[in-house]
Amino acid sequence: MPHVLISSKKCTGCHMCELACSAYHENAYRPSVARLFSAVNPTTAAIKGHTCLQTACAKCQEVCPQDAIVTKEITVRVKGDYPSLEKNGEVVKGYVLVVDEEKCTNCGECYDVCPTGVIHEHPEREVAFKCDLCDGEPQCIAFCQNPHVLAVDLKVDRMDKELQA
Amino acid sequence: MDFYQGKVLRIDLSKATSAVEPLNTDWAELYVGGKGLLLRYLWEEVPPKGDPWAPENPVILMSGPFAGTNVSTCSRLVVGCKSPATGILNDSYVGGSFAPEMKFAGYDAIVIQGESPEPVVVTIKDDVVSFIPAVEKYWGMTTSRIEEAMRRDFDPAAKTMSIGPAGEREVLWACLSTDQFHKAGRGGHGALWGHKKLKAVSIRGTGPVAVGDDAKVFLDDIYRIHKEYVLTEDNLWAHEEGTPVLAQVMSDAGVMPTRNWSSGTFEGVENINSDSFLKIRTRNRACYQCAIACRQFHQADGVAGEGPEYETIALCGGNCGISDIVALMKFNAACDELGLDTISSGSVVGLAMDLTEKGVHDFGLRFGEVEGYLKAPELIAKREGIGAELALGARALAAKYGHPELAMEVKNLELPGYDPRGAFGMSLAYATSDRGGCHMRTYPINDEVVAGTLPPDTLEGKPQRIVWGNPAEGMIGENFSAVKFCGIWCDFWAITPEQIAQLFRHLWKREVTEEEVFRVGERVWNLGRLFNLREGVEPDDIPKKLYEEDGAHTTGASAGRAIGAENFRKALQEVYQIRGWDENGVPSEAKLAELGVDVRL
Repeated sequence: MPHVLISSKKCTGCHMCELACSAYHENAYRPSVARLFSAVNPTTAAIKGHTCLQTACAKCQEVCPQDAIVTKEITVRVKGDYPSLEKNGEVVKGYVLVVDEEKCTNCGECYDVCPTGVIHEHPEREVAFKCDLCDGEPQCIAFCQNPHVLAVDLKVDRMDKELQA
Repeated sequence: MDFYQGKVLRIDLSKATSAVEPLNTDWAELYVGGKGLLLRYLWEEVPPKGDPWAPENPVILMSGPFAGTNVSTCSRLVVGCKSPATGILNDSYVGGSFAPEMKFAGYDAIVIQGESPEPVVVTIKDDVVSFIPAVEKYWGMTTSRIEEAMRRDFDPAAKTMSIGPAGEREVLWACLSTDQFHKAGRGGHGALWGHKKLKAVSIRGTGPVAVGDDAKVFLDDIYRIHKEYVLTEDNLWAHEEGTPVLAQVMSDAGVMPTRNWSSGTFEGVENINSDSFLKIRTRNRACYQCAIACRQFHQADGVAGEGPEYETIALCGGNCGISDIVALMKFNAACDELGLDTISSGSVVGLAMDLTEKGVHDFGLRFGEVEGYLKAPELIAKREGIGAELALGARALAAKYGHPELAMEVKNLELPGYDPRGAFGMSLAYATSDRGGCHMRTYPINDEVVAGTLPPDTLEGKPQRIVWGNPAEGMIGENFSAVKFCGIWCDFWAITPEQIAQLFRHLWKREVTEEEVFRVGERVWNLGRLFNLREGVEPDDIPKKLYEEDGAHTTGASAGRAIGAENFRKALQEVYQIRGWDENGVPSEAKLAELGVDVRL
């Protein structure tokens, strides 16, 4: 299923992905509530990307006592350069996991099990928030714009291809 | 408020108290942010003609309006004070991630005044400000260690601005350090922090930066701007090669300071040029919110880290006769850890080598000898052995030994890596720079060496270029750099006035012309001049050997060239005339009124 990955090797630690993510979802730049992040050690330059693996992981969905993490069909459209996709305008269909804010009680079970640490309590709405691939136009990938870098990409697996056929 | 947070955090180190006050929006309208707003706050906060070391002399950390958004390169922070080295304004710029974090914490600026009785670290988590005793635990730490300690003890995502051991001992060119390799290098901010017993400010912000009713509109425009203007051939050289590419070019042009400015061509440059650094490159890193990612990491024989950039290669390499790339990297790494500006470090060590070679005084330092060279940074930072004397700085050290002509500085700021004898325009750039010896206010090197659009061996036509530049040809004049530094855009985005106007449209929510963009720059430059005149700036001049006939080089590509004292003075007067200043460089009332400068001498 489609999900975002950050190449720790290619990433320069510019945090553009977090900034674009927060601007898209929060209507203001606020990386502390971004749906992905890149952890950077400024001294060693070691970088580790943290993103949601969606249905390929689904630990949050498994533990949610309220069934508040729901599977949603999505069509990803390319804006920007995706190393994984062949041409501009290519479309990928698949599923993502989204939070049903009506059902979420902010119990925190999912926060504890998330292996990449990208599902959290929203500081104002007091429910869980997570990556939804921006309704099919992932801003993080679009804003990883340097042609020599392109560290943020869509992971597309075999199932996605079958779904499209 | 969109883009601005509308708040200034005031820290009083004497009382260990803090207060939040509203940003002066009238000033923000006139002077935008960054350099402009910093200078307006300095005008107000610095006691006129006061002692730079006095507790009242503030250090101001100022962001630009685009910090914390995804406008590339605008993560830069400007740190300002009345410099203890020069006695005039000092605005020192630093990349990394501190300015965005400051914005996320809710502040456009931080004004630091007073003097702590004991060493202190200030931590800021959004609206919670704490004063942590630094003695024993943090005082004495190198820059990477204090950052690591703050991530461990305060917040794992903390961004830290700190001084190293050099700042603690008030070495005049001690710098501020953030994200380990990023330095607010020039003018001795580190010395001032050390004097105020301020080891570090560590900040963590979790709030938003608003950009308008619909952030997606802004986001889409920035996507376009990045595609059209940022990620182009004009800028990506910085990602692919970076400033080491200048080393060979400057040496070939007779511009690279060599052995304390005794030549402009360094015969060992092949060992420390871009080709040599490309062989040991490991990866690229970016400042926060920058798509260009120019920071080059290198690794060789037991030393790894970012840089060195061209200025370091020139001053700590050629100027010290050092062509050993590993030694150069070690020297650079030592300066980074100790919190020393590399331009001044290389200049002073080169001077001490010169004094030794000339038989004036034996500092145990000789051109090209690695052993003494590698010991120098630590001795300077600790003021031990020869370091106690070197820490005087180039001007005082040369004067002490009766050779003031060997000190290569302007207004007591050591000169960077461009010898005006190989590029005459630099003489005016250095003389008129508002913070002393600096290459960042205008860059005639672009005309004279890089692009080759104007001949390097004449001052004809240069005064106009110094003041106004020609951004279409990539030549930055002082007025344009002044508005760029309000943004705060980095030089590695070769931004044009028209592109700045496009971004100011988001800021001011109206149409903006290129003329308005230049006007902001000229206003800011004149405000800076007023500040310097108020504080008693020295006459605009440069070391005489850089223009007098008998100072011409005898070797290298610029051998035999001399500007001539008369030509230099004439061109300087021409700069003043273009600016609407009198023969002493005092702005006329008409000029100040025309520009809307809101202060007077």
